[in-house]
Order: sequence, then C-alpha cells, then structure tokens
Amino acid sequence: MPKTITEQNLRLLVDTLLKEGARVVAPKQAGTMALYEPLKSGDELALGALPRRSAKETFFPLCETILTFEKDKGGVRVNDVDPASFPETVLLCARPCDAAAPSILDAVFSWDYNDEFYLERRRKTTIIGLACTTADDACFCTAVGLSPADTRGSDLFLTPLEGGGYAAQAVTDKGKELLEKRAQFFSDAGSAKPLPPAEPAGESLDLEKIKSWLDNNFENPLWTEIADRCAGCGACAFLCPACHCFDIVDEGTEAKGARRKSWDACGFAKFTNHASGHNPRDMQNKRYRNRIMHKFKYYGDKFGQTLCTGCGRCIRACPVGIDIKAVLDEINSK
Amino acid sequence: MCDNKNIYLPHLATIEEIVDETPDVRTLRLVFQDEQVRENFSFRAGQFAEYSAFGAGESTFCIASSPTRKGYIECCFRATGRVTESLRQLEVGDTMGVRGPYGNSFPIEEFEGKSLVFVAGGIALPPLRTVIWNCLDLRDRFKDITIVYGARTEADLVYKRELEEWQERGDVNLVKTVDPGGNGPDWDGKVGFVPTILEEATPSAQNTIALVCGPPVMIKFTLPVLERLGFTDDAIYTTLENRMKCGLGKCGRCNVGNTYVCKDGPVFTAKQVKAMPQEF
Ligand SMILES: Cc1cc2nc3c(=O)[nH]c(=O)nc-3n(C[C@H](O)[C@H](O)[C@H](O)COP(=O)(O)OP(=O)(O)OC[C@H]3O[C@@H](n4cnc5c(N)ncnc54)[C@H](O)[C@@H]3O)c2cc1C
Ligand code: SF4
Ligand code: SF4
Ligand code: FES
Repeated sequence: MPKTITEQNLRLLVDTLLKEGARVVAPKQAGTMALYEPLKSGDELALGALPRRSAKETFFPLCETILTFEKDKGGVRVNDVDPASFPETVLLCARPCDAAAPSILDAVFSWDYNDEFYLERRRKTTIIGLACTTADDACFCTAVGLSPADTRGSDLFLTPLEGGGYAAQAVTDKGKELLEKRAQFFSDAGSAKPLPPAEPAGESLDLEKIKSWLDNNFENPLWTEIADRCAGCGACAFLCPACHCFDIVDEGTEAKGARRKSWDACGFAKFTNHASGHNPRDMQNKRYRNRIMHKFKYYGDKFGQTLCTGCGRCIRACPVGIDIKAVLDEINSK
Repeated sequence: MCDNKNIYLPHLATIEEIVDETPDVRTLRLVFQDEQVRENFSFRAGQFAEYSAFGAGESTFCIASSPTRKGYIECCFRATGRVTESLRQLEVGDTMGVRGPYGNSFPIEEFEGKSLVFVAGGIALPPLRTVIWNCLDLRDRFKDITIVYGARTEADLVYKRELEEWQERGDVNLVKTVDPGGNGPDWDGKVGFVPTILEEATPSAQNTIALVCGPPVMIKFTLPVLERLGFTDDAIYTTLENRMKCGLGKCGRCNVGNTYVCKDGPVFTAKQVKAMPQEF
C-alpha cells in the first residue's frame, strides 16, 4: 500500500528521531542560504530550498580526527578513533543529486582497503530523498543520467503532492523498516497527484562518447582555452557531492595532538608538488584537466561510474564562470 | 592497536640505529614495538611505507632494507620539509610511526637467471639498494651484477660503507662516479655524469635487466643510453614518485592518468612509463 506523510508529521518524525538520540541532517536555513545541517528540532527543516553545499559532509566530514597521540617520558601513545562511536543518522530531504553521490563514492572507499570512517557512517545512515519540483539554470542531473525523481541512493523517497504533503516510497529494506517502525506518521495514500518533477534544461550528454574523447585527448588545446583562467580556488571541489580527494595532516604539538583527514582539491597548485620542487601538474589547465578526467574517465576506468551527479553547484559557485556543463557540451559536440 | 579497522593507524617503531649518509640524508633502522607486528611484517623489494613523526605528519619513503633481512626495516630520507625535518630531530630510542607496506614491487623471481644492471643517481639509491641486497643475499640465482652509481659530489654519495663492501666482494661490478668537479684528491672512482659513465661501462644487454632510479634528468638521459646498449623497454625498470598521502588509492593525489602510483606502482617498466601521459 503506497503511503503519504504530511509536512506536519515530517517535522514530528524529526522530533521523534532526535528524542531517540539519532542525528538528523537536513536542509536548514542558515542566514541567506540553506545548508544540510544537523537539526535541533523539526521546525528547522527548510523544505523548499536547495542547499548551497552538498550532503557529502554527512558521510565524509570536512575535517575529522583519525587518531590522537601523546608523548611523554614513557614513550608515544597512539589512540584510535572508534567508528563504532558514530551516531545513527537520518539524512532527510536529500535531493536526488545528493542522495546518489554516496552510492557512487562507496566504490573508492571500499576498494581493496576499507575506509571505516566513511563506510561506518554510510552503514549508520538512512537516506530519505526528496524529488525536485523546480530546477535552476545550473541543474543538469538529467544530462548525466539521473533525474529530479531519481530514487538512486535513497532508502525512502518523498515526492511532493498537489495540495501539500508527500508520497513516501520505500526503496530499500532500510526504508521499508523505517516506514513500518514509524507507521504512526504515515497514512495510506489518497487521490492527491504528485507535483510534476522539475525539468532541468541542459542538453543530454553522451557519457560514453565523452569518455572515449577523454581517452584520446589528454593533450588538446581545449585544456588551455577553457581551463587557463581557473583560479584554483577549489570551490568546485568543496561544493561537489562526489569529489573525494583528501589530505592527512597532524595538528597540535609533538607532545599531544591529532592526526586529521581533511578535504583537499586537485585544483590547488601544490596538490601534486614534489619535495624537490618539481610539480607534475604545474599549470592550472593541467589541474582542471585532471578534474574533468577524474570525473568522466578515471573513475569510470576504475569503478565503471561517473563522478558527477549534475547538481550544478560548481557552476553556481565558480568565481571565474567556468561552467562544467558547457565544457562537457563542447566535448560532447566534438 | 594492531588488529585494527583504522587503515590510517600506524604501527609504532623504535629507532634502533641512525646513520648520517650526507649532511641532509639520514638512514634509520626501525624495529616494531609490537612483537606480533615484528614477527608478521613482511614486504617485497620496491614497496613503500608512510612514516610518521607525530605532530608533523607523514612522509612517503621506500623501504630501503632488503626483505631478506628480518627483524627490522630501514628507510633513508633527505630532510626537505616539515615531516622529514621533524623525523631528523628524532634520536636513537625514539618512537615513530610506520604504516605499510604499500604498492607493487620489483618482480625479483622473474629476474632469476639473468644479469642485472643497477643505475642510480644521488639520493635515489635507496629504492635500488633493497633490490641489490635482496639479490646479493640470493647471489647464485643471478648472473653478472653491475652497479653504476653517481652523485654530484663525493659528499653526496649515500651508503658509502656499502659501496666499499660491494667494491671489495668479487661478485659485483661497482662503477661509482661523481659529476665533474665533485671529486676530492683521494677519489678512486670515475668522474662524469651517470649516463656517460654507464655508456662507457658497456654492460651487455643480453639476458639482462636494467633498474634505473634517479632524478628526472638523469633518467631522461639514461634511457637513450640503455637503448643504444640494446636494452628493450620491457627490460628496464624504474619507480615513479608522485606525491602521496593515503598510499591506499583513496586520496586521489598520486595519479598519472588513470594509473594510481600508490596502487599500480611505484615500480614500472620503461614500456609502461612511456605509455603514460606526461604527468609525473
Ligand atoms: C613512492 C615514493 C618513494 C619515496 N622514497 C623516498 C626515499 O626513499 N627517500 C626520500 O628522501 N624521499 C623519498 N620520497 C620523497 C618523499 O616522500 C618526500 O621527500 C617527502 O615526503 C617530503 O616530505 P616533507 O613533509 O618533509 O616535505 P614537505 O613539508 O611536504 O615539503 C616539501 C616541499 O613542498 C613545499 N611546501 C610544502 N608545504 C608548503 C607550504 N605550506 N608552502 C609552500 N611550499 C610548501 C616546499 O617546496 C617543500 O620543500 C619518495 C616518494 C614517493 C612517492
Ligand atoms: S562536478 Fe559540479 S555538477 Fe557535477 S556533481 Fe560535482 S558540483 Fe555537482
Ligand atoms: S570553482 Fe572555478 S576557479 Fe575555482 S577551482 Fe573550480 S573551476 Fe577553478
Ligand atoms: S596516495 Fe592516495 S591515492 Fe595514491
């Protein structure tokens, strides 16, 4: 039997989950923008807004401690961080472009060696996706094979209904369990129709064709024409739900401190700098090329997936107006 | 802390011995503190590890000792930055961190029955020294062993005591050289750049593997010499040293095209290197 949930009950669901000790991450108004943030109450839920940053932080924090150390006369002690201590989490109202990203990133974090910092958070998170009914100029999820109503990566999926409320569809067992366990918040579906999904305007991309062009065009004037003006600010990578490069740094002193894993970006000038001063990607166009290659070729070569969900965040934020969709359109037309 | 799920957690190791090779290059002999790790740790020549100075961070070095020598590992590094300077501050008896071994290795079994030519420049001897000792400890499995090793000056040569040892044992042909002007009055080796000296030494390419490590310019000028001597690109091995952080194929830093040096390398044949985009 299909289910629905009212907006009021959605907020009450948040309150119940919080009361039981879960972490609830959802769009929340933060000044002039909405962000995916841990909520303190269901009232904070910002249902209409597309969050400025992606939901990636839910699984892969901007910065996290991976061990701590202390040194004294007795020697050095290294203390582990136990991923078992991570809280149960519900990521609520994740847009399809955000919900799909972790299921793509699972491949790199579980490849050969398991990164439990990421994977344990994934296991402990239930994703409730939310269909988009409006899109802006930068949205292009349909061009990379997703859609505003795509349930990929979601455990439970909400679709806004005419006259208010949401249709709730279980996508995975986790989602089904949530529906059953929280039955008091859901009703049987009536006759209300779903609102029509958003229609991102972008031309569809032939990802196979783009990949095969990239296979053969490591050297191409395009990289200088388009990417020379990239400022290497890293905004695109930091806003991206699918970028996963990181650094490992020690903070504190020799006597006491923490080793931390923190986001990094291949657009930064020193990302590949050798200690000798030699830098394999010594020009910005080479760094931008790596960004496109990683997303649309290397990740495919390795894991058979594309590292972009068409969320458009990098387009909205780029200070020099580099539009990844335009770059892809250009490659697609070659 | 050993049977742990945290892939970024290093083993603790005690510095057992320190040798200053040059004013800024140092060799550390490390012994794992945990008895089980000490017994179970194994690696293959060519693999690397992430070494940490707590408070400063981690640095990538090859494991410079031979897998045939059990009970300890050695690394040899040049102090050039934050971590390496901090590692240099440590003394005998101090603790540091080691995680690894990572990466692929030299296929030593495939080299058996062949002659070997090692060509190294400056601080790049460590990644070959592990292979050299590995093969010398199994000496009867290989034919001729030639080592051409050069540095800018006499003072820049690393492993000086081992160079002497190789020179004195009768089953290694050691050719050591320093750049013109780098020799003192008592220098008993050659004077000239590594590629030139290699060409003069004319090692036979017949049934021979060449292993080359050095700064990019040395490698650039050495490959054509090896070619003239008759070496094919799949008989020449080298290591790539793109900057690394995780060492585990996750942080996205070390790639050359779609090759991840930390997972697919650091050991490659010249044939593989030539097929890669120029991103190293
Ligand atoms: C597979 C592999 C094997 C290796 N084996 C060896 C080996 O056996 N021995 C060896 O000596 N080396 C080896 N290396 C190289 C070694 O990893 C580096 O020399 C070492 O990591 C330098 O670390 P560091 O933290 O001391 O330098 P860093 O502190 O990272 O500094 C390196 C350089 O980066 C620049 N830099 C860093 N931070 C900044 C900043 N904030 N602003 C401006 N510039 C900055 C500077 O130019 C500095 O000199 C190997 C590398 C690889 C990938
Ligand atoms: S590359 Fe840009 S459009 Fe694609 S997922 Fe990342 S931020 Fe969104
Ligand atoms: S946001 Fe724009 S300028 Fe900044 S790194 Fe990305 S492409 Fe370059
Ligand atoms: S060092 Fe992190 S991916 Fe290779």
